[in-house]
Amino acid sequence: MTLAIETRGLAKSYGDVLAVDGIDLAVPRGQFFGLLGPNGSGKTSTVHMLSTLVRPTRGSASVAGHDVCRNPVAVRARIGVVFQELALDNTLSVAENLRFAGLLNHLAPADIESRGRELLALFGLEERRDHPVGALSGGQRRALDIARGLIHRPEVLFLDEPTIGLDVPNRRRIWRHIERLRAEERITVLLTTHYLEEAADCEQVAFMRQGRIVRSGDPGALIRQLGHWIIEVEGSDAAALEQLLAPRLGHCIVDGERLSFRHEDDDLAPVLSLQRELGARITGLSWRRPNLNDVFLWINEKGLWEALPQPETAIR
Amino acid sequence: MTARPFLAVLQREVLKLFRQRGRLLASMIRPLIWLLVIGAGVESLIGGEGGGSYRQFLVPGILGMTMLFGAMLAALSTVYDKESGVMRMLVIAPFPHYWIVIAKLLGATLSAVIQALLLLALLGVLGYLGAIVSWPLLALGIFGTAVACGAIGMVIAAITRSLDNYAVIMNVVIFPSFFFSGALYPVSQLPPALSWIATVNPFTYGVDLLKHAALPAGHAFAADFPAIVDISVLMLFSAVAITGACIRFSQESAVQPLLQVPGRRRKKPQAG
Repeated sequence: MTLAIETRGLAKSYGDVLAVDGIDLAVPRGQFFGLLGPNGSGKTSTVHMLSTLVRPTRGSASVAGHDVCRNPVAVRARIGVVFQELALDNTLSVAENLRFAGLLNHLAPADIESRGRELLALFGLEERRDHPVGALSGGQRRALDIARGLIHRPEVLFLDEPTIGLDVPNRRRIWRHIERLRAEERITVLLTTHYLEEAADCEQVAFMRQGRIVRSGDPGALIRQLGHWIIEVEGSDAAALEQLLAPRLGHCIVDGERLSFRHEDDDLAPVLSLQRELGARITGLSWRRPNLNDVFLWINEKGLWEALPQPETAIR
Repeated sequence: MTARPFLAVLQREVLKLFRQRGRLLASMIRPLIWLLVIGAGVESLIGGEGGGSYRQFLVPGILGMTMLFGAMLAALSTVYDKESGVMRMLVIAPFPHYWIVIAKLLGATLSAVIQALLLLALLGVLGYLGAIVSWPLLALGIFGTAVACGAIGMVIAAITRSLDNYAVIMNVVIFPSFFFSGALYPVSQLPPALSWIATVNPFTYGVDLLKHAALPAGHAFAADFPAIVDISVLMLFSAVAITGACIRFSQESAVQPLLQVPGRRRKKPQAG
């Protein structure tokens, strides 16, 4: 299996601030990989090291077969980077931006033209070809920015929080574009996001916290590890509720007045009986399927994840 | 193959020059005001001495001025590029980061040369080009001055974070470069202190080279230094300035501000 991205003990510190604390990544070619975590967990610093813009303090990394320190120009020729902030020239038109980016990537004008048409069609911007970037909506600008990162057919695409600052309809639109892109071109994508639910389509995810990867694996398998349901109980005396319910439902995560339990069984009968039993002591009782947000919460509670039943497929 | 990124930057520079019509118009009007208003005013004070007028003397000076403003402002636009997304496109492109300096310098030079050619055409129409001594030397003077002014701009762009202090740069760099040069008066006739400042000002040598090309030798207003000195100083200064800007741009700390998201920069706690 050839790896598109491989890091060993990769670390970066800014002064005495340790942004990335020795991470090991192995992303196979063609994979859709999600680097997840809250703001400040070291995702963006990792992307900056992998895209050669920042030198690692320790460790090594190779991207598309080239070492990021020894051969940064070769790496940059093979990657596309979509930063958190747009990399577009507002004074130029949509087509002129793609032309500028294409020439910077040594493409011939004819190639830029044909590839540009392809990408504008993919991202629904054909009608906007000659509009100045300044006249586009936020979602269209972001779509163009991703097209800009793809103009030279990179082997690896870095998407650093691609939907940050966008409203929900535009976020959905960007995800539809990315889905189509993945269906049409088999390229490796490394996505960072703190909207964890957006990473559900990733083939592999790694959770970062305080510069370290705290867990990684197939998102579906990680979610399945939590069980079938998440049961949320709300009540004003959370501590008493926890004491009462923990023997039956196991450990829970307390967030203010809300307790979240895992329910491994698909059968909700025991939960329904809870409702009769607790009556007025609770202000809310609900259940839903677990998602990556839950995975992240359970990972972050000390010792809780380790106590889960460990299926064969889980990594680490 | 390697020429394409340069082509990209040059094309963008020309596109911008002709789109910002106000800037282009200003770059034509500014020198003509000096020539036709200040020139005529001063001439009425000192009287037109035989062999050439003060306005004729101003021709190389205002050509130099066009290059000074044109090249330096184009080079300084690099700082705007840092704040907009353009610099992000440049730093992620597959070439060493010092190329950005060279490409922007070529862009600034091209932009300034175009403005100089437009001004030359206007001067021709107004009848000020009859006295040109050497066209090849004029071409060399225009090119050398544009490169040197672009190089000053790139050094400033390389060490400046934002152009909030734009007026400062205008008043501390551009105007003094112009006034403390031989553009408005012969350096040899300045008081010692001013003459000394003009001698260390690289822009002086650009204007002086243009004087060699545009003013007859032996005239009271002729060039102050031998042409070879002008060419050597311009080349040496440009080489040193460009090298400095290239070194600065190759450092990680030059890229860093581009990557930081304003207001979202995190303080990392001790990793546990």
